[in-house]
Amino acid sequence: MKRTRPGAVVFSVLLMLGASGCAAGGAVAGARAPSAMAAPEPPPPPPPSPALAPGGGALALAMNDPAKAKSVSDSPHSAAMLIYTANLSLAVFQVEPGLDAVERVARDVGGYLSSRQDNSITIRVPRDHFDDTIARIEKLGDVTHRDIKAQDVTDEFVDLQARLKNAYSIRDRLNELLSRAAVKEALEIEKELGRVTEDIERMEGKLKLLRDQMAFSTVTVTFAPVAVEQVRDSSLLAPFPWLRQLGLQSLLNVHQ
Amino acid sequence: MKRFLAPLVALTAAVLLAGCGRPFDVKTAPGLVELEDQEPDYAYRAMTPEGVVMGVRVVDTNGRGDLEFWTRATSLRMRELDGYALLATADVKSRDGTPGHELRFGHDESHKPYIYMLRVYVAKKRLFLVETGGPQAEVERYKGALDWMQATLKLD
Repeated sequence: MKRTRPGAVVFSVLLMLGASGCAAGGAVAGARAPSAMAAPEPPPPPPPSPALAPGGGALALAMNDPAKAKSVSDSPHSAAMLIYTANLSLAVFQVEPGLDAVERVARDVGGYLSSRQDNSITIRVPRDHFDDTIARIEKLGDVTHRDIKAQDVTDEFVDLQARLKNAYSIRDRLNELLSRAAVKEALEIEKELGRVTEDIERMEGKLKLLRDQMAFSTVTVTFAPVAVEQVRDSSLLAPFPWLRQLGLQSLLNVHQ
Repeated sequence: MKRFLAPLVALTAAVLLAGCGRPFDVKTAPGLVELEDQEPDYAYRAMTPEGVVMGVRVVDTNGRGDLEFWTRATSLRMRELDGYALLATADVKSRDGTPGHELRFGHDESHKPYIYMLRVYVAKKRLFLVETGGPQAEVERYKGALDWMQATLKLD
């Protein structure tokens, strides 16, 4: 039987590491790594907007539970992975009670308060309650602007998973080599092991963040008028300057 | 006799002249006081001691824009530019039968809720804007007087 020399093995592992693209930026190489897993199929087309797909179905349910979400997203046939965000502008009336009400909505649907300022609030709500959260907030006041986005992170997620699996297998291989290596090679392997572990932690963190962002949608509600810059550009005011004078400030200023 | 008659004639003339400047008529309800010298911004303005104010603006439109146009323009301006909350709308009529629209807005001023009501009428190539506003609680308290004043508005 031919005996394997540790130096050659270390060299080949290092080669593998370089090719696998464990570090950030090696997405394509990672996704193509043949030994660790089969190449993922291209993701299916994104589902209709949240307004058209209330509830979100099985994927949405899975998104609430990272374990389930992992199992769903592990399947090459899983639906597109979407991160929903909504920015709503409400008119400036009864702001404090409005902020309280938005916070209550978040709690009612199993979400939580992310941040709160004088005239704005950000909440995180479970994906399957995204639509009814928006509907409930819209009833709280006069919505002047609404901006709802669904960011498809399927590619990023699948790629990250592939790179992570690859990194796991490299780590296992390095550990295996370490157990058999001489002192000189061991130092080299440990150094590489540290780098791979760091990559794994970073990728796990990113995956966790993506899962969280998919499971909990972000809704920001701002009680504010349109930005001053946009007011200056308003085509409406230009030919009718008296329109600017309407409102409480002018009406109630009886000393003018 | 002449001594009494002269001031009376002068007073009558002054009242008539003051009235002549306005292309509308509105009565001031008890509890409010009409303010003087409100031109050029307001053709009429009256207030309560608590700061509820009703004012009338008249804008020459030269026939441009109908009631729907001006209602939409004012609504957009209040909602989008100043962030006023449109709470309700209603069809209204002045005492002479001119149709108009009422827009009821809410807006926080120094963290307190205020009400701002705007009635829009278009008559005789002019736009009539009747604004009423003040702290929410006070506007509700004076609702009867304010409604009565709106009902007395007659566009010439």
